Amino acid sequence: MRKGSTVASNTPQIPVGAAPAAAPMGGAGHAPATTIRRRSRKQLSENAFAIALMAPAAAFLAAFVLWPMIRFVYDSFFEVSPFAGAPRIFVGFANYATAFASEAFQNAAVRTVAYTLIVVIAEFVLGLAVALLFTALGRRSAVLRTVFMYPLMIAPVVAGLLWRFMLIDNFGIVNELLYRWGILSSPDQIQWLSDPDIALFSVAIPDIWLTTSFITLVLFAGLQNIPGDVIEAARIDGARYPRLLFSIIIPLLRPVIAVALIVRGIDAARAFDIILIQTDGGPQGSTTTLSLLIYRTMTRFGDPGLASAMGTVYLVVMLAVAITAITLIWRPGSSAR
Amino acid sequence: MNPLETRGKSRIILWALLAGALILYGFPFLYLLLTSFKTPLDAIAVPPTVWPEKWTLENYVSALSREGVVAALINSVVTAVISTALSLVLAVPAAYAITRFRTPSGRVFIVAALVTRMVPTIAIGAPLVETMRNLGLSDTSFGLALAHTTISLPLSIWLMASFFEAVPDELDEAAAMDGCSRLQALWKVVLPVVGGGLAVTAIFAFLASWNEFLFALLLTSVRAQTTPVVIANFQSQFGLDWGGMTALAALYSVPVILLTLFLQRQIVAGLTLGAVKG
Repeated sequence: MRKGSTVASNTPQIPVGAAPAAAPMGGAGHAPATTIRRRSRKQLSENAFAIALMAPAAAFLAAFVLWPMIRFVYDSFFEVSPFAGAPRIFVGFANYATAFASEAFQNAAVRTVAYTLIVVIAEFVLGLAVALLFTALGRRSAVLRTVFMYPLMIAPVVAGLLWRFMLIDNFGIVNELLYRWGILSSPDQIQWLSDPDIALFSVAIPDIWLTTSFITLVLFAGLQNIPGDVIEAARIDGARYPRLLFSIIIPLLRPVIAVALIVRGIDAARAFDIILIQTDGGPQGSTTTLSLLIYRTMTRFGDPGLASAMGTVYLVVMLAVAITAITLIWRPGSSAR
Repeated sequence: MNPLETRGKSRIILWALLAGALILYGFPFLYLLLTSFKTPLDAIAVPPTVWPEKWTLENYVSALSREGVVAALINSVVTAVISTALSLVLAVPAAYAITRFRTPSGRVFIVAALVTRMVPTIAIGAPLVETMRNLGLSDTSFGLALAHTTISLPLSIWLMASFFEAVPDELDEAAAMDGCSRLQALWKVVLPVVGGGLAVTAIFAFLASWNEFLFALLLTSVRAQTTPVVIANFQSQFGLDWGGMTALAALYSVPVILLTLFLQRQIVAGLTLGAVKG
């Protein structure tokens, strides 16, 4: 604006914004031929400009995400020695055959699904309950929302270690408090992290603690957008709270719920540090999810080829789920963008 | 007022429920803080106590005097700052192009950027070890920052796109009328308007790097090691030093928790954007 006068002479030549760029394409049919030609040229240059602006980010993602991913998939067809410079032998799909036949892989896949379900279901139920509480209490509860948010900022490693410390068999505070309140008959009654039957639940606790607030915040924001008259109308019709919740609130929140659950589900399925730090996959492998199994196969058992094959299967499934979810719910091409 | 707001006596019960939830929610970190001020022996006493019998800074002193701890804190800051700057520099023009020109390439790009969020870290981390070695960036903060940017860049593009979306096209058009080129319009007119959004994006990019563990574990060993790896090493390397661990964990977490208190509105905006809008 300050330069307005000095560059004013250029204005007619600057195509962008001179004509209504946002005009619907359908209107072009009524315009004179010259306008159409100018518009198409303008679009061409806009397209080139847009690509130029996206190029650096695209190049970065290609170099540091796409290329490593291709290499990772490529490795899955070889027997790779963990030592640098050692020969690699092409083995076709042998690594995949080994992976699918291996019980460790099958179990880890089941555990990954179970872990994801535990985390997502618990977070949804707790997150929705707290979001409804905050909504019911209105403006006065705003300060407390901040308090509720703080675990989101904590590193998963810290959360994992902290909960391990609190759940540890002999001096964990959780069992001690449960014992003092008379819920447990002895302070080491529940072996949170060393009983293989419950360890998968226990390792999920810090994850739930860490990110339930995310679901709460998202659902709370969604709840504020529910039109008041719908609720009032239902109230007048005599709907009670449970009915209101299941027939009106949850259906209206469906898109928000879906996005929140997908985001969390994908993160939970990739959970690594939080489990590694608590149990290192034990006891008896009961918390070895896919990301831990792949990591171990790669670094400790020194079989990058097999690890890559497992990882590729994992990757393909994740991408398939993610892409399906995005096209079904986000629809970036149609509604939002 | 929200129609779902409750009135009358039942509010008391709801307040009690919420207070209970908050105590449960707040307790773990409170316990971490309290433990960090116990003596190292009290920290692992059987049975454990909630309140320190004797308040001391012993754990902080011993944690900070461990070899590599101060260096790791510095590394965490350096890595996160580089990664945040890189994410913003790359994300801002890309997000601007996606929201302003609405070209097919832009649509493909934002979906592709979102999809990278779904990739398991190990599938990128393992090959990156060799890439960094080839680039001479093994065990450097810059190399790790590049890896962290693979996480924060897609997130930054998504967030910035949402913020740009909220700015009406007319603003760019007015800038163009006044003789600004497209780039000038972005730099001088649109960017100042989305300043708040830029701050939100920066916070999230910073946090993504600050809290990241697996890349740091794979790509650094001595010189560039960040704090999460050091915290994780406390148990194996130094025996079971729970006191020291809680002190370092508190030191590492308190600054970012204070951040949420001061910038809560921005952070809530960043967390809920997209999810609610989309």
